[in-house]
Amino acid sequence: MFRYLIRRVVQFIPVFFGVTLLLFFITTILPGDPVALRAGEKSISPAVYREIRKEFGLDKPWYVQYGVYLKQLAHGDLGTSIYTGRKVAVIFKETYPYTMRLAFAAILIEILVGVGAGIVSAVRQYSIWDMLVTLSTSVLVALPVFWLGLMLQYFFGILLRNWTGATFFLPISGASGSVFPSWVHLILPSITLASVSTAYAARIMRSQLLEVAGQDYVRTAYAKGLTGGGVLWGHEMKNALIPVVTFIGLDLGGMLSGAILTETVFNWPGVGFTIYRAIGARDYPVVFGGVALVLFAVLTVNLLVDLSYAFLDPRIRYGEGTGE
Amino acid sequence: MGDDHISKDRAEEHAVKEYRSGMPATPPSGPYEESAERASRTLWGDAWGRLRRNRLALVALGWLVIVAIAAVSADAWVPRVFGSPIRIDTVRAMRDRLQNPSFAHPLGTDDLGRDIFARVVYGSRISLSVGILAVMVSVVIGLILGSLSGYYSGFVDTLIMRVADVFLAFPYILFAILLLSVLPKSQRGIVPVFLTIGVLGWPSIARVFRSSILSVKENDYIDAGRALGASDLRLMMRHIMPNAIAPIVVYATMSVGGAILTEAALSFLGLGIAPPTPSWGRMIEDGRVYLTSNPGLVFWPGLAILSTVLAFTLLGDGIRDALDVKLKD
Amino acid sequence: MTEGLLKVDGLKMYFHTRDGVVKAVDGVSYSLDRGETLGVVGESGSGKSVTALTMMRLIPMPPGKVEGGDVLFKGESLLAMKEDDVRHIRGNRIAMIFQDPMTSLNPVYRIGHQIAEPLMIHKGMSRREAWSRGLELLDLVGIPNPSQRARDYPHQFSGGMRQRAMIAMALACDPDILIADEPTTALDVTIQAQILELMVELQAKTGSAIILITHDLGVVADMADRILVMYAGRPVEYGAAETVFYTPLHPYTWGLLDSLPRYDIEDKGELCPIDGQPPSLIDVPSGCAFHPRCPHARDRCRVETPVLREVASGHHSACHFSDDPSFRRENVACRVGGA
Repeated sequence: MFRYLIRRVVQFIPVFFGVTLLLFFITTILPGDPVALRAGEKSISPAVYREIRKEFGLDKPWYVQYGVYLKQLAHGDLGTSIYTGRKVAVIFKETYPYTMRLAFAAILIEILVGVGAGIVSAVRQYSIWDMLVTLSTSVLVALPVFWLGLMLQYFFGILLRNWTGATFFLPISGASGSVFPSWVHLILPSITLASVSTAYAARIMRSQLLEVAGQDYVRTAYAKGLTGGGVLWGHEMKNALIPVVTFIGLDLGGMLSGAILTETVFNWPGVGFTIYRAIGARDYPVVFGGVALVLFAVLTVNLLVDLSYAFLDPRIRYGEGTGE
Repeated sequence: MGDDHISKDRAEEHAVKEYRSGMPATPPSGPYEESAERASRTLWGDAWGRLRRNRLALVALGWLVIVAIAAVSADAWVPRVFGSPIRIDTVRAMRDRLQNPSFAHPLGTDDLGRDIFARVVYGSRISLSVGILAVMVSVVIGLILGSLSGYYSGFVDTLIMRVADVFLAFPYILFAILLLSVLPKSQRGIVPVFLTIGVLGWPSIARVFRSSILSVKENDYIDAGRALGASDLRLMMRHIMPNAIAPIVVYATMSVGGAILTEAALSFLGLGIAPPTPSWGRMIEDGRVYLTSNPGLVFWPGLAILSTVLAFTLLGDGIRDALDVKLKD
Repeated sequence: MTEGLLKVDGLKMYFHTRDGVVKAVDGVSYSLDRGETLGVVGESGSGKSVTALTMMRLIPMPPGKVEGGDVLFKGESLLAMKEDDVRHIRGNRIAMIFQDPMTSLNPVYRIGHQIAEPLMIHKGMSRREAWSRGLELLDLVGIPNPSQRARDYPHQFSGGMRQRAMIAMALACDPDILIADEPTTALDVTIQAQILELMVELQAKTGSAIILITHDLGVVADMADRILVMYAGRPVEYGAAETVFYTPLHPYTWGLLDSLPRYDIEDKGELCPIDGQPPSLIDVPSGCAFHPRCPHARDRCRVETPVLREVASGHHSACHFSDDPSFRRENVACRVGGA
């Protein structure tokens, strides 16, 4: 097992540096005017321009700049916002809890609804449930997440309000500030965010269960006299879940980036919304910092998922056997 | 590749990362790599016959054909019947804005008096072109790098695969946001959009192609061919290509859907196609303000995205089943 | 004669598929007494495994369907029983082990747990009791250091040890019948002998009956009391092991015996394999299913389907000409290629 763990970590390192290099390249080398990206696009005199350039170390050779960049990252320095003058890192420190809450709720939905639907679909293959799940997951996967959010807003926030006189749900207004307790605000955004992931989770759970059901050891389990339920929970699930759990972990990246769209639609004051506003305001340091932040979060989670695989699968945990 | 076998096993058995990163691939019934091996015995004519029997895939194909025809022929009939979907005319804007669906305007008009149906039709041009071009970029890069990687193993292979890992670590939207926000306003347009999306998509294609090559490389007839003096390129074309094409076609078809979704998202965020050119994603963003009064501004473009992406996904599924049925023994 | 333990009576099981009806089992009959070993021999696709699976009701019933016959276990019909009752028999009174122990064991559970499972289900033992009984069983099948090995996962065992573990699992509840489906096919030759020896040993201790299914006549040579030879889903020869071996009646059996390299015969002629391929079970040849490959086939064989009947005491054959005393192996030349 340790060999596996170490190998994964070793593989991670070049990827990590590659990512930072790519980030650095895109934000510093690629653009025509890196000064504007840091100090704003106001027109300035050449003298001021040169000074700013020196201030940001943009006159140094690229590898030196890259080193500085890495050092800054290590210290958690993501730059300074053009718009507000505050440190980017501080801005995100305030906003990431909201995104965390949203993501957490969405993952909960993904697990309960997605995995559950997948199980039902596989166990009752070809039944009406199965068709329903297969159909809805196909549609969900093709759905633009932000459109779903808007439609939900319209239906639950506006239509329902009209029909019932009293309001039912609140579409916008971020995380609080209405007649409802703040957790109610979480409902629509988390459903929206969870939608695509849930669909995938359901499909993977289903296909894994179906694949496992055809395995020899399942036949052995029946031959031992187990009931259908006993075979499902005692033998099939543990095998089928391994890739599903892996998927949920790896999908976090997709979810976090999807959060940008969801938060924008619902004015949910998280990392994504901040990035969105920064795009509009041309506040590049915030955009770059936010993207970098999400990226590193995704990388870390991916690494953890990779490593966790060692614990989930006994074939890796206990390596090759001692044999006869 | 001994040291890599576990990561390869897992990554390719459950090609999980690729599911999500913006390009929806339905979880395969078996890894694409396996079907690449076995595809050598597939006749395309045979597969086409089987595809014809798949009603769902045919409906999807039919819908795509309709959309494509509408997109291509749009200039000929749309402006004449519904007025220009692009030009902003203040007179028209005042007179016709935000109208409900009527005979003249089947889906209503937007806040600038432009016919929504016309704009949706025009939007299809953007979506289809971005989708297809992006995938083509991915395929080209993926094929080149994948074949280099698979054929000349060792250092080249490891290097390319590591670079692929780096690209795979980036969620689509983030990468696109990064690249496109850096772009000066003047250079915005369709080209950077599809290039960006395309550039992110190559690792999956490369991986599929690479393992096709690897599996075929093991076979003896490659050595025999080489003994007979066949050049590397010739070997590649005659023996490896036919096997590898099938899963790539399937993956590419389904990826078009993902590319369309990504483009829509980018336009929604304001980074994609700039107005007044209609893009479905942009239309949704513009229509957001009027959600309460005229939900159609948001609804119709979204429905267009949904139906087109769904069609590509179903078509891809159908193609995969048509090629796969023979392989399920 | 003790009351029959198991009686298979004209069992027919067909699969209804899109491509046609697969006649996997087409009229198989045999019986099994306590402590007896029956060897079921045939090529792949002869229906030998499917018969056993049908008996255990492990065949999914669409697309499979029992078209006739019955299976009686201690007088009771296994096919007519309710599912709940059959479940109590599976793994408990009739146990089965399969060909490939690597894929037949669940990779994510410890060996000890998998052996304990039938004990907990059928004997109501607690986890602790079942585990310690499992250790005893591991010892019984010759696995060293059971208390440690029981905590291992299947991939940590070698092939031979895995099969031993499967045997332990099957014998856990002291079944009346052990069905072994190609138990040694996936193992090395040296290990094969060990496993067979083990089975003989255990049978002596526990007194259970064994149905040994294999394509390899050599495997059943020492072990079986009686032998059933199957072809294309039908029985072609059935009798005491010695008689089938030394005085076989059916040309297919001759072919099987001739295909075995023999070290004990003086005059080592050529190996005489059976020509051709096993037939499709959807399109079974008319008349005698073996006729396209039989060197002695005549017109009658193409037209009339032979029935398994008793030719000598206790010795059954399904060849038209077995009644003719001159139609015996030593009298007919080995001719490769059909008549």
